[in-house]
Amino acid sequence: MHLSFQALSLSVLLALPASVRAVFQDEVGHIDYHHELLGVPQRETTFFHRPRTEEKASLLYTLSDLGVLGAVNPSNGALVWRQLLAGNVTDGGGFLRAAEDQTWLVGAYGSSVSSWDALTGRNAWSLNSNGVVKDVEIMEITERGGKDVLALHQEPGATVARRIHGADGHVVWEHREVNKDIPLQVSTSLDKVFVVTLHGSLLSYSLKVMVLDTLTGKKLDEIPLGTKGEVQSPQDVMFVGANSAAPIVAWTDNGMTKLKVNVLGLKSKQEFALPTDTVDVEIHAPHTIQSSPHFLVHSRTKPGHKADVFHIDLKSNVITKAYELPLLEGGSAFSTSSSGANVYFTRVTDNEIIVTSSTSHGILGRWSLKSGAEKLGALHGVSEVIKKAEDSYAVRAVVVTDSDDWTQIVNGELGWTRLEGLSGAVAATWAEFPQSEDLARTLEAEAHSNPWSAYVHRVKRHIDDLQYLPTYLQSIPKRLLSSIVGSESTESTDEATRDSFGFNKLVVLATKRGKLYGLDAGNHGKIVWSKNANETPSGKHWDVKAIHADNAKGLVTVRGSEGQFIIVKSDTGNTIEAMPSSLFPAVDGATIVDSDAGPWLLPIERDGKLGDVQLAWAPKQTVVTRTGENELQGFRYVEKDELASPIPVWSFSPSTGQHIANIATRPQHDPIASIGRVLGDRTVKYKYLNPNTIVVAAVNNKTSVLSTYLLDTVSGQVLASSSYEGVDSNKDIACTLSENWFLCTYYGQYQLRDSEAQNLKGYQVVISDLYESEVANDRGPLGDAANFSSLDPIDIPTGPAIPSVVSKTFILSGPITSLAVTQTRQGIAIRQLLAYMPESHSIIAIPRMLLEPRRPVGRDPTPAELEEGLVKYVPAIELDPRMTVSHARDVLGVRSIIAAPAILESTCLVFAYGVDVFGSRVTPSQAFDILGKGFNKVTLVATVAALFIGVLGLGPMVRKKQINMRWQAPM
Amino acid sequence: MLQSIAKLPLAVALQALSLLFSPASAATITLSIPPSPQIPNPAALPPSTHATLTALGASFLAPLTTDNTFVFRNVTPGSYLGDVHCATHGFAPLRVDVISVTAGDDDKKTGGDGVSLRVWETFRGNDWENKGEEIRPAVVGGAFPVKVLGSKIYYTERGSFNVLSILKNPMILMGLVSLALFIGMPKLVENMDPEMRAEFEEQSKKNPMNSLMSGPQPGSNPMGNFDVAGFLAGQGSGSKEESEPSSGNGGKKAGRVVYVWKFTDLAFGLLFFSSDIND
Repeated sequence: MHLSFQALSLSVLLALPASVRAVFQDEVGHIDYHHELLGVPQRETTFFHRPRTEEKASLLYTLSDLGVLGAVNPSNGALVWRQLLAGNVTDGGGFLRAAEDQTWLVGAYGSSVSSWDALTGRNAWSLNSNGVVKDVEIMEITERGGKDVLALHQEPGATVARRIHGADGHVVWEHREVNKDIPLQVSTSLDKVFVVTLHGSLLSYSLKVMVLDTLTGKKLDEIPLGTKGEVQSPQDVMFVGANSAAPIVAWTDNGMTKLKVNVLGLKSKQEFALPTDTVDVEIHAPHTIQSSPHFLVHSRTKPGHKADVFHIDLKSNVITKAYELPLLEGGSAFSTSSSGANVYFTRVTDNEIIVTSSTSHGILGRWSLKSGAEKLGALHGVSEVIKKAEDSYAVRAVVVTDSDDWTQIVNGELGWTRLEGLSGAVAATWAEFPQSEDLARTLEAEAHSNPWSAYVHRVKRHIDDLQYLPTYLQSIPKRLLSSIVGSESTESTDEATRDSFGFNKLVVLATKRGKLYGLDAGNHGKIVWSKNANETPSGKHWDVKAIHADNAKGLVTVRGSEGQFIIVKSDTGNTIEAMPSSLFPAVDGATIVDSDAGPWLLPIERDGKLGDVQLAWAPKQTVVTRTGENELQGFRYVEKDELASPIPVWSFSPSTGQHIANIATRPQHDPIASIGRVLGDRTVKYKYLNPNTIVVAAVNNKTSVLSTYLLDTVSGQVLASSSYEGVDSNKDIACTLSENWFLCTYYGQYQLRDSEAQNLKGYQVVISDLYESEVANDRGPLGDAANFSSLDPIDIPTGPAIPSVVSKTFILSGPITSLAVTQTRQGIAIRQLLAYMPESHSIIAIPRMLLEPRRPVGRDPTPAELEEGLVKYVPAIELDPRMTVSHARDVLGVRSIIAAPAILESTCLVFAYGVDVFGSRVTPSQAFDILGKGFNKVTLVATVAALFIGVLGLGPMVRKKQINMRWQAPM
Repeated sequence: MLQSIAKLPLAVALQALSLLFSPASAATITLSIPPSPQIPNPAALPPSTHATLTALGASFLAPLTTDNTFVFRNVTPGSYLGDVHCATHGFAPLRVDVISVTAGDDDKKTGGDGVSLRVWETFRGNDWENKGEEIRPAVVGGAFPVKVLGSKIYYTERGSFNVLSILKNPMILMGLVSLALFIGMPKLVENMDPEMRAEFEEQSKKNPMNSLMSGPQPGSNPMGNFDVAGFLAGQGSGSKEESEPSSGNGGKKAGRVVYVWKFTDLAFGLLFFSSDIND
């Protein structure tokens, strides 16, 4: 009785904190870090806008290359709000416009046009249609005073222009033109709407301008513009012009020697010569209707860039060149800013920022950039010019630099910088800081020399080390004080090194834009190094297939899908070896294998093929590849002509009609502290711990049946399989595998096969525990054998040892994706399931005890079960906000979560990447081996002091009493 | 918040839109967050708040609009699970049925043409047919109000050091009382008049506990070999002589066992309570 009570209270104590574990408020920002990102802003969809007409302050808006629509406070670079415009992460493109003096923005992506409140980020209206949106413009002047939206859609075989009511989003009119033209852009002047399309066939397009009536959308005119084969694709038309008083369309000839400009509504076009060797032309013009009809042509040549400013005469519609800005070396970014009729052009070069007016070439302001050692390298930007006095101007420009940062420059001073380059991460890995090489080398030398010289060397080294003693002694009082007061900080040093707790680790992050970053996880995710790792042609992304950190050598290998790879030093980012794409065959992935020459990253070619390797590098394991959409194969390497070549040993296909939805493998680091589970009655259930297992989830789209298979990777044998009906194959299906259990999550809608028919609907998770035998205290057919073979059956009838599986299904209150399992150094701490909640934008850690398949169903647990910490099964698991690792933070678009053990057994490091970058530390069994912030050192010291004083005070009293007692006469 | 945006025409326009672009028999569903004691100002909810409708092979998403509504368009007939996702508040899950109505069987419920809408509360992990209270659409606009459950708590309070909280502990209180007795008793005895004092001392000699409390009294120790640990552990080695046969002893034991069980019940209760919160 006593014993069970003790054990019971222990289990209760363990269970209680596990179920209510949450982040403490004072740990926020101390153990976790978060880069709230938007993505790299796009040139056409970034601008300043005043969200409220009555207030002067403007916000900076952008629709980034990841499809995130966001507002940024230009004074400090802080995020005001953000939305995923298309509901998920996209691949660039989209449209964003703001109407002057209006409270809304209008954005478009894919087939949908939506309007958003500029200050709050709330949706005002959205409109879905059949076609793809090709352009969106604001109609500045309408007959009823408000502003409307013009949207151009491409439907199969038709070009559709719609005028949409700006405030409530209903369609005012629609013009449908049935033809095979490619709709290009829509533009508007005071009294007409212009729709520019490409007419003709590929490589020989001509431009066609349709003129529509603003009130009814009736076609007034159609103007063909001959281009003589100069426009070969929609990209060749550079600019269709904005809502200036005289909108234009511009394109160049094939050799980039002449710029051709047409004022929309006219049949004629004008030609202007471009500088020789022009490689790229951009046109900048104001977007407001009251601005002067001036525009700037920015031509980039190989060595430098120059700009020409043109004026359009509103009466004669003649374009004249007003002035030119001189050719300068290096790159630069131009931007326009208008106030009233005045138009200003801001030029941001590598070392200065120059403001000119559109009317004359006189420089209104010039500031040299006080940037640091790094070159700015502005690609494009936006600016706001304010006239302070008669001759004094102020400018603030926000530019996107070639390092993918978004930097603000106020009158030449660098303001804030948003590290937008970290967004769009596609792969990441943990890496250790390389150990101090000198010490390691010295120790190695000492180990290999003879004992006497090693001893002398060591004594000498220690005498040498004495010189650091005074500084160490000096630092002691300060450290003591700071440790008592509690002001000590882990981020004290600038240099990144290992720490004794193992919290300081590097994360090497690869983004789809071809950049590599080294982040210091122990220092709030600060960027240690960054580099351009992959030269990709524009529009193509770096498809990283594998990333692997070799901590023994301090190297990180990143493999792309085109066969390219790069090996960098993990602490500095210096390239050790790099291979450009298409020299090696394209790869599907890569996997870590053991060989005689050490572990290495074996590339898997397209369709799961494996190449021959040198004998020394032959993998020792069976390598499992996905050889087809629905087939897995296991390969073993055998010697053949002094090479090792792969031989398929087994293959696996799910049932016909099923396709593989997810494959889960074991984490690299998966230590098991105990091989059994002690039950309440002191019997032991032994865990089925086979390191060569994977979980394959396959789903049938037609019958909506999900099957999970637990495969032995050595033999290809299916160890366990189960089927689930009514599983939605269009929603995420994710699985994970760790220790002796695996789980899958999916959306299910099905009828229970109970006596009373019940329907269920919702996101679910099914967890399966694997044991060696169904009965306790039994080690199954293998018994206590130290070794086993997947290939040798134990006894012929049953084949290999099959695990006994216990499963339970739970209904979750929301979807979870990007599953991972916490890892600790020895695996003693309980495990938690880490997952991203895409609807709540947060990362959750679900305790394994909650997802326990052995929870008793339909009855209260017996005392023995309670002792194990098993509580009654309830089908629904409410994803408690207190279980979220990211607490109140809004972590957007997480693609994957990676976990790594710290040196402390209690702690697991967590890192999530995708759009945002988030990192934290979790302690699944609470921080039992480290004193947290809750340990009040001041109170401890005060208590000890109070006790001491108490002893000092009471001592004489007690002595006096004892003496008195001795002298008292006995009664 | 946004007076410039007219509220009533919106719904009208949306209906017109759904007619324009939607296939036949698709509904427009509007959920709304009305001001409530938990959310006095729905306009202050974060812009990331959104709602989803899910069913097998279908899912719809609607962001929070400036009117504190969620508008789903072109929803095909079916029975959907409706969830409102918000960073600051939790909302009750909904069952949203979009039923296509054949001619004649006309329902008053709002929606597009040829469909009727019915919304109930639902309970996670329960039978789908086990519906809660039906939610009636608002008279103006036809939006279905969603029920807020409360605000989300992300943090736990750290147990802080407080002298008062220590004093509230019953064990500490008991200790303090016995300390007061220990110190105060001799004083009290001293202040008694001699007759009463003699009587009291006579009594205290009979009571073993009293002698324990007032310290070792040389000479007068009737229970000198009294084993405190044994007494507390129920072994009764010292009290064997004077205690009645096994029945009394057994009674004592039973009482203590019950006491232990009360403790375990409390612990179970705590466990259930905590699991109830989380499940």
